[in-house]
Amino acid sequence: MSRTPEPPSGSPSIAPAASSVDAGRRRLLFGASVVPVAAATGLTVGSAPARAALKTSARIVIAGSGLGGLAAANRLARELDGAKITIVDRKEIHNYQPGYTLVATGVWPVEKVSDRNADLIPAGVEWVREMVAEFDPEANAVVTDSGRRIEYDYLIVATGLQIDFAQIEGMDVAAIGSNGLGCVYPSPQAAQATWQAMDAYRQKGGKALMTLPATPLKCAGAPLKMTFMVVNRLRQAGTRERSQVEFHSALDNIFSVPRINQEVLARWDKLGVPVTFNSKLVAIDVGARRATFTSPEGERSELDYDFIHVVPPMRAPDVVKNSPLSWKEGGFAAGGWLEVDKETLRHRRFPNVFGIGDINGTPKGKTAATVKKSTPLVVSNLLDVIAGREPAQKFDGYTSCPLLLREGAALLVEFDYENRLIPSLPMIDPLQDSYFAWVMKYRLLKPAYMAVAKGRV
Amino acid sequence: MYEIWLTLNILFELALQYLPAVVAIAALWLALMGVAASRGNAGWCKAVKPALVVFVVVTAITFFITPGMTRSSFANMGYWVDWGNLFLYAAGFGGVAAALVWPLAAMMRRAG
Repeated sequence: MSRTPEPPSGSPSIAPAASSVDAGRRRLLFGASVVPVAAATGLTVGSAPARAALKTSARIVIAGSGLGGLAAANRLARELDGAKITIVDRKEIHNYQPGYTLVATGVWPVEKVSDRNADLIPAGVEWVREMVAEFDPEANAVVTDSGRRIEYDYLIVATGLQIDFAQIEGMDVAAIGSNGLGCVYPSPQAAQATWQAMDAYRQKGGKALMTLPATPLKCAGAPLKMTFMVVNRLRQAGTRERSQVEFHSALDNIFSVPRINQEVLARWDKLGVPVTFNSKLVAIDVGARRATFTSPEGERSELDYDFIHVVPPMRAPDVVKNSPLSWKEGGFAAGGWLEVDKETLRHRRFPNVFGIGDINGTPKGKTAATVKKSTPLVVSNLLDVIAGREPAQKFDGYTSCPLLLREGAALLVEFDYENRLIPSLPMIDPLQDSYFAWVMKYRLLKPAYMAVAKGRV
Repeated sequence: MYEIWLTLNILFELALQYLPAVVAIAALWLALMGVAASRGNAGWCKAVKPALVVFVVVTAITFFITPGMTRSSFANMGYWVDWGNLFLYAAGFGGVAAALVWPLAAMMRRAG
């Protein structure tokens, strides 16, 4: 077990940051004119207190340049004075993953989900265009795939997760888009190809199989959105009557929040979407359009289909899973998720390590909404640790899901670790079909996402 | 209010997406205001009424076309939050139109 390093520059000093004060003034001045708009958007993410820059010579490594890594880098660059911040990730293109379901259902063109990472990495932050190949938290260092060793005082793990297609025999990612095979998760191109497959399917109709694995998922609402939308697209094409849409869940539910689970099942019942529980996709013959499912007792059944949406099992990347940083026992150990305290998001054995986003072994929260809410908290807690204090902020597990119901309407579902529905503003009804929730998803969430990535909200 | 800051950021990011149009409209408005102010004797108060009429007309038009432009329809209006937001979106466009009309009307309706 590692110990918390001493604050690198002794007792850190606090210096007023003029930019923070100015920002506060700007917020106040502009804010007065947009209260109605703000109230109407229903977006809220905790507080944004004005801070003072913390003088430190700490070396901070951020593994990963997804939304969490970028948001943390931007915030730390602004809130620390003198720190050496390094992002390690080879990724050049930043994909807006919450937009994949819109691409995969024919709502958005694929071009809308890709931006350049270089535009989002703050000035003054070193960007190492390599991948972390090894975490060595005992020595406070990471080793990249080129063999470069980077030592740190503090580490933020924001690597994202690993899609594990290998657990589905016969699955071929390159075949997505052909032979009725869809999968929204791997990439923008896969999402686009999924729409091609869905579009071809809806013209003729037939049998659609929608799947859900047993592992934690990023955007666990996506399999549900895809199901609602394939029904909607069939109706629009006039082929719903000669089609069957079936959902196969490897679990005994289709969503972890009981109230939402009930709501969606009731809606699917009305839409004529039967659900088979404890039915796990284990193999697929893409050419023959045949899928194999197993029950918990090991009973196998083969089903033919015209369209299938494959949702792959997910786990931590090997570099985390096989490192000392992963859970070694308990429910998160099998997936190799990062062993963080679910409230502080600080590593439970290495106190100078924090986690953000999908990699965290926490009960909920593999969404951009969780990153939006938790990154300011992680940064605040890291600043506390750098200053020699205990982390003060506690995360409630907030996440949200604009659950597409059909083209033009969605539910805006927000919940926490305890499965409580926690609408950002009391006027929002999370179980109400809503145009507003649709517009949020269709128009407003990407701008919000970009502001999060830039560390402003 | 953090929600306000977040909303401003969303508006800012949206403005970046449509930057040429935003800059052009802002420049046009500034030019109109400048011309109206420099001519003197502009009827600013008298111009309020036509500006309000334009606000109402543009807001009404935008109110009716916005659902279709966002791949939705009035059939998807579930509850008052939806109607309220739709009105706010429409009123935003109406406000921009009114702001452009106000200096024009002021130049046309001299004071006193």
